[in-house]
Amino acid sequence: MTLSRHDLFDDVAVRLDGVSLRYDTSEDILSGIDLVLKPGSFSFLTGASGAGKTSLLKLLYLALKPSRGEVSLFGRPTSRLTRDQLSALRRRVGVVFQEFRLLDHLTAYENVALPLRVLGRKESTYRSDVEELLAWVGLGERMHARPTTLSGGEQQRVAIARAVVTQPDILIADEPTGNVDPEMGSRLMRLFLELNKRRATTVIIATHDLGLVRQVEAPVFRLQHGLLVQDVEYGPAARRRTDISKAVE
Amino acid sequence: MSKETPLLPLEDAREMALFFVVGALCFLAALATLSAKSTYGAARSWTAEVEGELTVSLPDADRRGAEAARKLIESTDGIREARLLSKAEIDALLEPNFGSRGLPESLPLPQLIAVTAEPDVEFIGPTLERRLTEAGFVNAVDEHADWAGDVRRMLAIARLVALTAVALLASTAVAVIAFATHAALLARRDIVDVLHLAGARDRYIAGLFERRFWLLGIRAGAVGALLALGAAAAMIFAVHSSGARTGLLPELSLDFLDLIILILTPLIAGLAARLAARVTVIRSLKSVM
Repeated sequence: MTLSRHDLFDDVAVRLDGVSLRYDTSEDILSGIDLVLKPGSFSFLTGASGAGKTSLLKLLYLALKPSRGEVSLFGRPTSRLTRDQLSALRRRVGVVFQEFRLLDHLTAYENVALPLRVLGRKESTYRSDVEELLAWVGLGERMHARPTTLSGGEQQRVAIARAVVTQPDILIADEPTGNVDPEMGSRLMRLFLELNKRRATTVIIATHDLGLVRQVEAPVFRLQHGLLVQDVEYGPAARRRTDISKAVE
Repeated sequence: MSKETPLLPLEDAREMALFFVVGALCFLAALATLSAKSTYGAARSWTAEVEGELTVSLPDADRRGAEAARKLIESTDGIREARLLSKAEIDALLEPNFGSRGLPESLPLPQLIAVTAEPDVEFIGPTLERRLTEAGFVNAVDEHADWAGDVRRMLAIARLVALTAVALLASTAVAVIAFATHAALLARRDIVDVLHLAGARDRYIAGLFERRFWLLGIRAGAVGALLALGAAAAMIFAVHSSGARTGLLPELSLDFLDLIILILTPLIAGLAARLAARVTVIRSLKSVM
């Protein structure tokens, strides 16, 4: 019997147990959050502006420590890890930000290759991979352009390519379509789905764009008043159910 | 892709300003160190010169009597050498007070004997004075060591001042570099964040800043050291070309040790910058998860 990489994850990619978060002395932004994401799953995180979506994602990509509770990735409680072990864990998580966070002094190619440079790999070992990835996101012709000369959609595709270049086990995207037009938003969503299907990457996307959420049959987690609830009333199947109900009426 | 672009952008205006400040501090520190070393050298040679030196004055003696006194002095235990000063040497000693036209023959001048004691002999003046008196010479013995103590105390203060200046300038340079590194880190927080989230270890990120500030410190230190070398050379040239008497000035010359100080200046500046960068970046990263 051959073990898949997911068998090694304790069958859970992400687990949050009673996680709360507060900044300084303010009230809890997040309160008692429990969440389990299975390897290879695809899910959305929604909620109104200021609901704490970005804060929750920061906990997932290990940019913040929870005030209470435990965040575990791949079965490893992060509170017990050293800084080097946390760095090693971050390498298995790709992040896409709404504001792209590309480095302006590097070209699109160099931005995508950045995580590989951090890993200490020689350029000759990854050149073809990065070029292929840029071609996959439709930027094969613009790989030597700097971010300031790229459109918002192009920058976001560079950011996505950078997030997936190390073939992470988890991909976290914070409002990835927030700065692009709806057509580009749909294209980016197809990229995420393809990544999820091709590489069995666990994908979680934070968005308040319900139109985007309705395009995909996937669990939706909704943040409300610092609490997390699973909301199943979205997606094509739910929409079909709603359409049938209206027809019956 | 022949050459990878550095992950930290090339120097900006802030770093040019820092380069200027570090260069200026290194110039001052190198000059202060050279001055301190020069003061040390002068103190050593001055005290070595005056310690063990005595002058015996014989107001009533003629040349023959003075020669007899010289022999008596030289035969005393602990005396290495006794030399009777010539009329010309006495005239030269009095020239600053009486001018160069010579002294009237009728002016009574004492006979002077320059005495050098053995290095390990201290306070031999009273012994000489007693022996000369017993031999019938009216005499006065001036032991230079009496005022060498004052010279030593003065030079100790001068050395302390010079060393304090060096220490202050060095610590100021380190503080400025640490402050500038922190500012550079804040200005490039975006890069640090992206690298951090890409899984870069703290020492990898710190290494980027360390290399940048190590090179900045080396270059700025080299410029400061070269300027200090130029300033020292100009001072030496000015003193020597003016024909001024340098007997009471610190030893003005550049020797091998001075060159070592100048070579060490950029290395120390580079190391200080590197260390400051490392501590600042690591401490800053520790504040995030």
